[in-house]
Amino acid sequence: MSDAELSKPAARRRGESLRLRLMLGTAVLAVLFMLALLPALRGAFVIALEQSIEKRLASDATALVSAARTVDGRLTMPDKLPDEEFDTLEAKLLGFIYDRQGTLVWQSRSSLDESVSYRPRYDGRGHEFVRITDAQGREFFVYDVEIDLLRGQSAAFSVVTMQPASDYQAMYDGFMGQLYLWLGGALLVLLGLLWFGLTWGFRSLRGLSAELDQVEAGTLEGLSEEHPRELLRLTGSLNRLLESERQQRERYRHSLDDLAHSLKTPLAVLQSVAEVIDKQPQNREQSQVLQQQIERMSQQIGYQLQRASLRKSGLIRHSARLAPLLDTLCGALDKVYRDKQVQVLRDFAAEQHLPMERGALLELLGNLLENAYRLCLGQVRVSVRQQGGVLELCVEDDGPGVPADQRERILRRGERLDAQHPGQGIGTAVVKDIIESYGGELLLEDSALGGASFRVRLSE
Amino acid sequence: MKLLVVEDEALLRHHLYSRLGEQGHVVDAVANAEEALYRAAEYNHDLAVIDLGLPGMSGLDLIRQLRSQDKSFPILILTARGNWQDKVEGLAAGADDYVVKPFQFEELEARLNALLRRASGFTQASIAAGPLVLDLNRKQALLDGEALQLTAYEYRILEYLMRHQQQVVAKERLIEQLYPDDEERDPNVIEVLVGRLRRKLEGQQDFKPIETVRGQGYLFTERCR
Repeated sequence: MSDAELSKPAARRRGESLRLRLMLGTAVLAVLFMLALLPALRGAFVIALEQSIEKRLASDATALVSAARTVDGRLTMPDKLPDEEFDTLEAKLLGFIYDRQGTLVWQSRSSLDESVSYRPRYDGRGHEFVRITDAQGREFFVYDVEIDLLRGQSAAFSVVTMQPASDYQAMYDGFMGQLYLWLGGALLVLLGLLWFGLTWGFRSLRGLSAELDQVEAGTLEGLSEEHPRELLRLTGSLNRLLESERQQRERYRHSLDDLAHSLKTPLAVLQSVAEVIDKQPQNREQSQVLQQQIERMSQQIGYQLQRASLRKSGLIRHSARLAPLLDTLCGALDKVYRDKQVQVLRDFAAEQHLPMERGALLELLGNLLENAYRLCLGQVRVSVRQQGGVLELCVEDDGPGVPADQRERILRRGERLDAQHPGQGIGTAVVKDIIESYGGELLLEDSALGGASFRVRLSE
Repeated sequence: MKLLVVEDEALLRHHLYSRLGEQGHVVDAVANAEEALYRAAEYNHDLAVIDLGLPGMSGLDLIRQLRSQDKSFPILILTARGNWQDKVEGLAAGADDYVVKPFQFEELEARLNALLRRASGFTQASIAAGPLVLDLNRKQALLDGEALQLTAYEYRILEYLMRHQQQVVAKERLIEQLYPDDEERDPNVIEVLVGRLRRKLEGQQDFKPIETVRGQGYLFTERCR
């Protein structure tokens, strides 16, 4: 029991963060997934980009080849090339033509102020696409194609087109920027959708939680059937548990009733026999002993039975409205003490609730009120004060009050002050027991009305 | 007074029957609710003592049934559990007071007498009518401060008439106060008893509190306090 209670707050904390935990878990998974996707995307982009650069350089090389003429085995290039980029310095498209021996025979105007240290190797393998770094550390894409203009060894050349990789780098950086932006955006959208999805998915859990609140508050008998299939087993089990607890409490109450009746009635018979014995003077002493023992047994039975019947329900959160309970009890006590015309002053909010089970509060208040009705001269006051998380229920009367030296005794279990009113001792003991089972305390002080003031202090 | 006692435990029922009888009451003691309803329909009781834990129809249902039949006599409940749920339910059903088992007879008697006094409108332990004072606790009548020598039957008739002052009381009602059952019911006995009572009350002065209403019964004419 105590273990279960101890683990309760932790379980609640875990329960509250379920959606957040799922969110965090999914977010981490999504980020990991995107990180894993990134090299593949980047690789695919690089391949596509390089292919397009290769194609471009190849077509530029083809343009150079088609512009080239050989006169007597010598290569001549026209002054004005069809592709203007070879002629402008800013264009960054460089063209070179080497002969078989690797001697530069022509270079485009755009390459005049460049000093790229590329030497083609004429190996008859057709074309080559590479990335090189020059002496200054600059990178270039190089397309190198071997041509044989006259189908003879004498007119074999390497046509080389180049492009600085810095342009590519800018494109690559731009792409990566875009990629990160998109992935980030996608992640945000995903998380947003996920949040909505989880909220929607957890709606049934929140509905269940709301129903449980109602069950705990006692406004609902059990959980409804309108839950997702996955929860129906759980709600079904809970309903069966609630029902069996209810039945058990009912059975328990009935057997306590039976037990009380079957124990107390024989005691009443014994009591009557003792009274008959009492009439003969020679038996008076034995009769007194008998009556005392009967009284003791009766008090013990009464006390233990009341205690047992006030067993707290484990599933229901306890809260009872004070006003209707007080109405019920005052209605009953007004009847019993009709001649006294007791005036009951109320000093609490109309909606005042006390954190106790209804049955327990009824017994607690019944015992305190009867005490007050019995001892008062005409006025009883019931008040509730709330201060710093402590709730104080106070029942006062304008009677003679309890002398300070007897207060300790009256609060002690099973003791009674007034031997003329049997059962009073049990009353205070039960009151004390109920209060202690709710972790509260009972104080006995003087009342401003003039009599006794019983204060029940409970933490909210 | 004519009392109805409903208690299923035979020994306790017998105890109540004999002790209450000793106190000068006429007691109808029955073991279950059905029997109690029958008796209540047949006779006029002044008070009922009902155990809540009856077999068959419960004490609570019996009280409700009695009240629904317009039986207005006070009801004292005996409860074994003594918890407030039972007391509140019993009182709400129509009972007027409760005693928790086991009880000392004196406790029961005190509650019972208080209820009877209240029912007749007298909250004190005595009823006074002119020079006549009835001490309800000691079951004694005092005329000008002097104790009257009344038999138990004479006292019962006087108390009943005084409790029902200013009302015509039928002879049958008075017979019920004296005899628990139908046997030995002879209206002439009442006439004889009332005659003796009158002689004792109307000693010297002009004090004639009991009037005969021909064909109907008797009337206590003096106003009681």
